[in-house]
Amino acid sequence: MGTKLAQTKILTRTELYNIFGINVLRFSKDKRAKRRAVLLLAAYGFLAVMMMFYVGGFSFALGQLSLSEAVPSYLIAISSFFLFFLGILKAGGVVFRKEGYDILSSLPLAQGPIVASRFLRLYIEDLPFALAVLLPGLSVYAYMVKPGGAFFLFGFWAVLLVPILPIVGAVFVSALVMAIASRMRYKSIAVSGLSILVVLAIMAGTSRLSAAGEFSPEMWRDLSGTVFAVLEKVYPPAVFLGRAVVDMDFGKLLLGTVLFALAFVAVAVFVSSCFHRICRSLYGTSAKHNYQIGEMKRSFVLSALVRRELKRYFSSGAYIANTIIGPVMAVVFAGAALVTGTDRLAEFLPIPVDIGGFLPFVLAGIFSMMNATCVSVSLEGKQWWIINSLPLSPKPILDAKILMNVILVLPFYLVSEVMLVLAVRPGLPELIWLILIPAEAILFSSVFGLSVNLRFPVFTWESETSVVKQSVSSLLGGLGGILPVILFGGVAVTAESGKLHVVKAIGSVVILLITVLLYQKNCRTDLKEL
Amino acid sequence: MLTIQHLTKHYKGSSKGVTDLSLTIEPGDIYAFIGHNGAGKTTTLKCIAGIHGFEEGEICINGMDLGKDALGCKRSLAYIPDNPDLYEYLTGVQYLNFIADVFQVEAEKREERVKKYADAFEITSSLGDLISTYSHGMKQKLAIISALMHEPRLWVLDEPFVGLDPKASVILKDLMHEICDRGGAIFFSTHVLDVAEKLCNKVAIIKDGVLVASGEMEKIVKPGQTLEDIFMEVIGDGNKTGTD
Repeated sequence: MGTKLAQTKILTRTELYNIFGINVLRFSKDKRAKRRAVLLLAAYGFLAVMMMFYVGGFSFALGQLSLSEAVPSYLIAISSFFLFFLGILKAGGVVFRKEGYDILSSLPLAQGPIVASRFLRLYIEDLPFALAVLLPGLSVYAYMVKPGGAFFLFGFWAVLLVPILPIVGAVFVSALVMAIASRMRYKSIAVSGLSILVVLAIMAGTSRLSAAGEFSPEMWRDLSGTVFAVLEKVYPPAVFLGRAVVDMDFGKLLLGTVLFALAFVAVAVFVSSCFHRICRSLYGTSAKHNYQIGEMKRSFVLSALVRRELKRYFSSGAYIANTIIGPVMAVVFAGAALVTGTDRLAEFLPIPVDIGGFLPFVLAGIFSMMNATCVSVSLEGKQWWIINSLPLSPKPILDAKILMNVILVLPFYLVSEVMLVLAVRPGLPELIWLILIPAEAILFSSVFGLSVNLRFPVFTWESETSVVKQSVSSLLGGLGGILPVILFGGVAVTAESGKLHVVKAIGSVVILLITVLLYQKNCRTDLKEL
Repeated sequence: MLTIQHLTKHYKGSSKGVTDLSLTIEPGDIYAFIGHNGAGKTTTLKCIAGIHGFEEGEICINGMDLGKDALGCKRSLAYIPDNPDLYEYLTGVQYLNFIADVFQVEAEKREERVKKYADAFEITSSLGDLISTYSHGMKQKLAIISALMHEPRLWVLDEPFVGLDPKASVILKDLMHEICDRGGAIFFSTHVLDVAEKLCNKVAIIKDGVLVASGEMEKIVKPGQTLEDIFMEVIGDGNKTGTD
């Protein structure tokens, strides 16, 4: 037991050495690498501050609606769901990561400490998010209700518990997904496909639960009890923890701590029991040694590059799962619009808008959320020398990356468009915008993502998941691509209906212009200087 | 074939790099590049291969200035790094096809070359497997075959013998001679001084980023001496030897 604890301590320390790029910041002599690490921390800090302001304002608004009591439970539920869904896409890549597996398995280490250290890494990574969401909410609650100084102690205690269950759940689901995928031929595609299916299934399940019992949006604005009833159905631990904080109930919090810790241990033991088996199945290689040279065909340079990009893409479960989720959501959204009608969707928007006129921006926004190009340069990793030593100018290399993204998104785009056209049955001008604006947004986000990655490439990474989910490029490239859509979408919402076409026309031209300018700038990049 | 004049390359925030390095490699040369770990061998080779930029100096390959016509230069050379990190998500033959596509090698020629070299290195049967299943030596062999796909005139190799089995090492040496016989040239780094001495007609020794000796092997290694003696002598006191 003592040995295992010592091993867990050593492994956890090693896991945390470079968390959030801290080791690079401390020891790297490369100024650019340091600058990137600072920027990553600054980007996280900026997002945290934005989140705190948003949550603070939101909590205040709930307080104004006499829902102060529900604030802790509500925020715990929101942050737990966010961490859980992101965790499903991330946990597998962290817990069962390939990088360093051979060295780790050759060392005299038990499976338990390896798994526990990776759990703890996930916990430390997720804790700042829980803090950013809950601390402002709890502060607003304290300001409005004035429960006394001890409340903050209880609140902080609860915040420390919040990430545990989502991580435990996400790791459990990931372990099942990995175990199933490890038996399949195309493991990466299976991992990402199953992960996305699980996310969609849970989303559908929770929305069905929250909608049960003739529940309408108006009711939760008015009735604190309704909020608790819904949360109780969807995620009971949030209500349990929230009430424990509000009531400053030491016994309940202690019970919660024990239960959460037990869940943690149970899943850690379960994952430990199959850790090596899953890793070996996932990363074990088998070679047939039966190749016979046949006819070889010559193809164009660009098509060779695009083929390579696609093979790279489909070789990584983390890459697929995190970048295809946007297009999948677009199809789900379009499907929902077709099945329920656009009027029903409009009811869920926070402000009344002409949904038909606004749809191109919604679809464009979903497609722009995260794209494959924004980490495509970083994912070249140690093999970047190959591209650099070949007689290729930047243009075909970068074109291949953009084309790869477009090829991936195209089927989703076409299906979404067909469903939305059938759902809305737009007139000719609306039809043009519905087709044009999302298409431009896809192109823009591809080019913009590439620009960001060319500015902040990281070739020496410890795992693909860290590049796809935690790099400056994924953060800025994934979120930044959506900005013009939000900007022009926002203007479109507030514009008079007669001027909507003008806003869309200006938006289209501006997005196209920026795309062309960024593309030209990208093509002038000296790739060997990255 | 390759002219390097006053090459200076330093990494930002690091004292490591190469300073004022000049070297000429003629057609038919098998030129060894030796030095201690961190001396600047890989940096120099990467500059020649167009992977690294450099602050000062000029590199000309086949009469083309690398700074002005990088693509032209790259078309006439092949580079193999010390650690063959290849695309593990491709099969061996997909990788070779990719390289051949980039160099626009005719279908018949690529077939012929893949057959010739893969058979020689005895990895034909593994070409249909993912590179991730390859051993270090197999990756090295694949990297060598890929470097032969477009029949380069200049071969720039970083520690090419590491990981190769004895038979493959012999084949590689034969290939080096074959390229030189066709009027090409080889510039390669190595720590195996015996190999360098027997295989190469010229040698360059680099110490702390500065070229301390270069020229014809027989002029640098006098009768009764070995390259190892010279290396230890030069690395020990840093006196410049040779004529280049």
